[in-house]
This record gives sequence, structure tokens and C-alpha cells, in this order.
Amino acid sequence: MNSESHTNQLPYLGYGLGLRVDHYEALLENPGNVEWLEIVSENYLIPGGRPLAWLERFRERFPLVMHGVSMSIGSTDPLDHGYLARLAGLARHIEPMWVSDHLCWTGVQGVNLHDLMPLPYTEEALAHVVDRVRRVQDILGRRILLENVSSYISFAQSQLTEWQFLAAVAERADCMILLDINNIHVSAHNHGFSALDYLDGIPPARVQQFHLAGHEHGERLLIDTHDAPIVDSVWDLYVEAVRRYGRVSTMIERDDHIPPLTELQAELDHARRLAAPLLREAA
Amino acid sequence: MTDLQTLQQHLLQAMLTNAPPRLRELRGEDSADITSRLAVYRNGYRIRLRDALATEYAGLGLMAGHRFTHLLDGYAAAHPSEHYNIRWHGAGLPAYLEHALPWREKPELADMARLDWAISTVFDAADEAVLPAADLAGVPAEAWADLRLTPLGHLQILTSAYNVDAFRRAADRGLKRPRLRRLGKPRHMLVWRQTLEVRYRAIQADECAALAGAMRGEAFSRLCERLAEHNGPAKALPRMAALLSQWLDEGLIGGLRASLWPVMAGGGAM
Repeated sequence: MNSESHTNQLPYLGYGLGLRVDHYEALLENPGNVEWLEIVSENYLIPGGRPLAWLERFRERFPLVMHGVSMSIGSTDPLDHGYLARLAGLARHIEPMWVSDHLCWTGVQGVNLHDLMPLPYTEEALAHVVDRVRRVQDILGRRILLENVSSYISFAQSQLTEWQFLAAVAERADCMILLDINNIHVSAHNHGFSALDYLDGIPPARVQQFHLAGHEHGERLLIDTHDAPIVDSVWDLYVEAVRRYGRVSTMIERDDHIPPLTELQAELDHARRLAAPLLREAA
Repeated sequence: MTDLQTLQQHLLQAMLTNAPPRLRELRGEDSADITSRLAVYRNGYRIRLRDALATEYAGLGLMAGHRFTHLLDGYAAAHPSEHYNIRWHGAGLPAYLEHALPWREKPELADMARLDWAISTVFDAADEAVLPAADLAGVPAEAWADLRLTPLGHLQILTSAYNVDAFRRAADRGLKRPRLRRLGKPRHMLVWRQTLEVRYRAIQADECAALAGAMRGEAFSRLCERLAEHNGPAKALPRMAALLSQWLDEGLIGGLRASLWPVMAGGGAM
């Protein structure tokens, strides 16, 4: 198989949540307005036991997508074929609607930093990432989605803006984009660029999914913590994203200070209410 | 080396060292200086490792108390993470505590870490079929001597000179720190998963000998001999019967093998 053959269209899923242990029982008892779930792939790349038993139950009830944090697509270390084989195995088993990871690197020289490290936006990095995305897509036998990360540093050698780099990766590698609206807001603040310029620079046909999340105010920087409700400025940016890209599968990511499920369901309702008039106009 | 390789290696060094060098590759930006920008990543790395290890090592956290963060930071500095799953960074902690100063002077810490890690690995070990007790009823009398029990593959037997199980139990239940006790003689501890529940319990020396023998593939008659060494010949068979019944109730046995009987595993002939 080669990259040319990943032509399948990915479906629209509506509004979903990141699956977290705290919500396992509540989600099965009362899913409410939750239409799909995103799992953290690494949490289920395990031989057996309780997490996989729960996953089987969610598989029966919800469309699932797999979202990873360890592909390290931008690393200059060789691709981790052991990891990719396990990822492909999980995908074969649970048949997710799609598989995503981040446009970043997470380690080098065999050391894993367990963080989403930004890349310099250079032609060299672009060629490197494009080649690796193509190889990963061939291994997985499907197009992947890459997500923009929040960042706190930038590089003197960058020749492109972040959005030019992300768009170029998607076009040249023929992958899709998971646009994290909160991450755009956080990075725009931290680096002083326009979040609207970012949105304008992303090709709508490549946008397959939105992430929404909360963040924290550091002393001078915004920190992407996923531990708080979504703030108004991120909601405003979400509206601008819907205006530009139309109907895109949307989910809320909460990784810490997990609130009751009903609180996240209320945020999903808010997202729906914001998007509905724009989508009606577009129809 | 490419520019990208050089940049990533410089950033890696900046993340791992206590005094990061000045990185010419980073661009100065008005809203915050480069040091505080880099600190977000440097602090995040340490906090993430700490949090992940604290989750896996609940008993150790309770036992080490206020020294726990220092202990985890020392381990992270000595052993940078190499696994994509942050949880697995913890695999080397028991050996670190056994060998590194000052921790090796408190051997209860390594013992505690071994129990925590066994619980952690058993938690998501591969699912295995369990032998139903009824399957033993069909074993003919002449097949018993050569019968071999197959314990679950994930089952672990640990040895500790301290009441580490009390610490783990207290940590899981949110109870106050128990008093550390050094036992008169080291005690064996069995860790396994019954369906989805991780279980652990102390076992007597005779049970340990028989179960370890079964794990090595010894025949039923040999397991009885091991019990006879501990309890005398007269009590060996009743003890074996009692242990077998308990092992089946607790879901410790996955299958049976015997040269005079079909291979059985998880209730079905294979």
C-alpha cells in the first residue's frame, strides 16, 4: 500500500468528549448529548485487564476515534515501529473512525520527554515530517490527523509560520488536520501572532476535527493545561473556526480537575448553540 | 548531523540538566524571556514523571512520606524515561531503590516498590481463561500423580521482610500511614488478578513451595512431596486438597496438563 491509496472520506461525528476514567459509569448510564468519544491511544496499548474491558463496552455504544501522544512524528530518531505495530493492532481491533496524533516531537536519542515539543518551521523539518507521515499512513493503512500543539518557545531558524507549516504538511503528506482551537489561542498569546490569521491559513478541506479545552494563566504565558472550563476567547475563536470550516466533528478535552459529566455535557451544548446558526446560514 | 537533529539534541540536554545552557536556536520574544519559556517544558517534564510514578507507586508514596518527591526526582534524574508509555518509566524504580544511596539503606522502600509494581503490571496483564473447578472432577484417579497445574501467566510471588501490604492497603483506602514493622522472618506475597480485580495476600512457606513448583511445571505428586517436606507426609494430601480448592476459588489456575489426560485450559480441551 502507498500514500496514494488513502482516499477514504472520513465521516462527520457531531459533538463528543475525551473518554476519561472518571466518566466511565456516567457515560454508559446517561450519555446524553455525547455523540462520540476520543480515546488516548496509549491508555489502551496494553495486553488486557480492566481498561480494555471498559473499552469494549464503549465500542458497542459510541463511535470512537484514537488520539495518540507518542508518535513523535517530528523526531529525528527512527520511527518506533514497535509502537506503530501496537497502534495498528488496536486500530484493527476497535475500528476507530480515525487515528490522530500531534505535529511535534516527544523525544530524541531514545529519551522520551512526554511532552509535545514544537518543531522549527523550516523546509528541512517540513520534508522530514512529510516523509514520516507518509510512512506512518502506509503502516496504518489509513490517513492520519495531526493536531497543532500549544507552544512556549519558537525558533530563530523558522522560515514559515506555524499555520503555513501545518497546512504544508497536510497537503504534501495528504493527511488531515485536527485543529485545537484552544492551542491556537494559547500559542497566539504566547508568540504574539493573530489567531484569525492562523485560521485563514488552514485549508478547510483538510480540517477533520476540532478540539476545545481550557488553559491556565501563567505569570506571562498561557499554559495549555486542559484542566479548566473553556474560556470566552476560545469560544469566540471556535465561532470563527465554524464560520470558516463549516460542520466539523468537535470534542472537548479535559485531562485534569475532571468535573462531573454534566458539566462537560453543558459545554457541548454551548458549542452546539454557537455553531447552529452559522451552520444553518451555510446550508 | 542535520540542523533539526542538532536542535533536538540541544533541547533534550536543556530539559535534562539542572543548569540549562543558553540555546542560540531559541528566538527571543517580548512577552516572556527564554528562560521562563523553557522552564514550562522543564518543569512539565518533572511534574509529569512524578505524577505518573506517584499513581503507580501508591504504597511507596505513603511509606516514603515527605521524601517521596525527592526520591522520584532522583530516580528521574538517574533514569530518563525511555518508554512511550509514561507508566512504564516506573519499571526500574525497585532496582534503583535497592542500589542507590541513600535509599538502599532503607530496604523496606525497595520491598514496597516491588509490591506496587507487581500490582501495576498485573492490573493490565493479558486476559487468561481460568480453569473451572468442575473440570477437575473428570480427571481419572490414575492421572492425578502426573497432573500438572498451569497457574496464570501473570501471577507473581514476592518476598518481603516488612508489612508492605499494610501500606498498600492503607494507600488504596485513603487510611493513615501504618506503623512500619520488620517481620520476624521474610514473608511471601502472592499478587494476581481475578477476572478484573487485582488481589494480593500473604502465603505460607508450604503454599509458596507448592505454587512455585506448579509455576515451574512440576507434577502434582511433586507438589505433594513439597508439602510433605513442610507438614509431614500425613498432612500433605489434605493440605494439597485444601490449597487446590482455594487456588480454584481464587482463579489462580488456568489449565491442566497430564500425559494420561487431554490437555485442558480454561475449561475446554485444546
